Amino acid sequence: MNSTLPEAVQRAIGVTKKRRIEVTARDINRFAQAIGEMNPIHCDQDHARSSRYGGIVAPPLFCQTLTYEDASPDQLPADGSPLEIAVPVPAMRAVGGGSEYTIHRLVRAGDVIEIKSTLKDVHTKQGRSGLLYILVVETEFTDSDGRPVATELATYIKRA
Amino acid sequence: MSRTEIDEGDFSLPIVLPELVVTPTHTQIFMFSAVTWNRHHIHYSRDAAIAEGLQDVVVQRALIGNYFVRLLTNWLRDSGEIKNISWKVLSSAVPNRKLRCQGVIASHESAAAADPGHLACEMTMINDAGETVATGRATVCIRDFS
Repeated sequence: MNSTLPEAVQRAIGVTKKRRIEVTARDINRFAQAIGEMNPIHCDQDHARSSRYGGIVAPPLFCQTLTYEDASPDQLPADGSPLEIAVPVPAMRAVGGGSEYTIHRLVRAGDVIEIKSTLKDVHTKQGRSGLLYILVVETEFTDSDGRPVATELATYIKRA
Repeated sequence: MSRTEIDEGDFSLPIVLPELVVTPTHTQIFMFSAVTWNRHHIHYSRDAAIAEGLQDVVVQRALIGNYFVRLLTNWLRDSGEIKNISWKVLSSAVPNRKLRCQGVIASHESAAAADPGHLACEMTMINDAGETVATGRATVCIRDFS
């Protein structure tokens, strides 16, 4: 943690929010369409039933659909960026930096997934156009038995 | 030719994965924002994106990761799975510009040396101007590896 960060930012680091969402076959189908993945294992029940999975499974990074809170538009920052990175650093323009994703198992229709999101770190870095604020958000996805499904460590960059 | 498993003999390293070429469109970027409930205006408003110093609306960091996943799963088919994947966006990808996704499996995953079925893949994504848009790394696990 950087002690030069505004106090409100330092307070936000380490705060965890939890939610629970039930996944449907429709969610999986829509996600597969959005990423351009046409494998019938994600949308065709008959095909999926005869596969080694025995039913529809989601593409590996499906939990991305569960990452952001279902916040209403008036709760979001003016630029519409996710609440998960709405911390008061003196920089407003945000872009995605990178991601580290661990996949424990593929999501299935009917899974109830618990989502635990934590702002793990905020630090600064000198960029070509000025000071950059690097935000690291950890999201853990577990099933209703408490078993891990996936974990993501996502990095966002905010600049003035 | 349809294929569900990796052919025998495909495991002599290094393995160069068949290239995946994708051209993100405004529609795909919109669809991906919709399914991930990402309302950030740089993904749907060209004016807002330009006002932020970007060239156009930009492809989401998360969608970039899915292109790398497709590169891997197109090769793996039913023969294995992705255990972990990481990627870093180095420059913005914009609609209607071709992206070439390339991957090489050059080694067994050292962290899982006891299991020779774990392979490490290095990936890059290059735009039509030859600029590197993203780099990535993944560990894939091959079933019944021998």
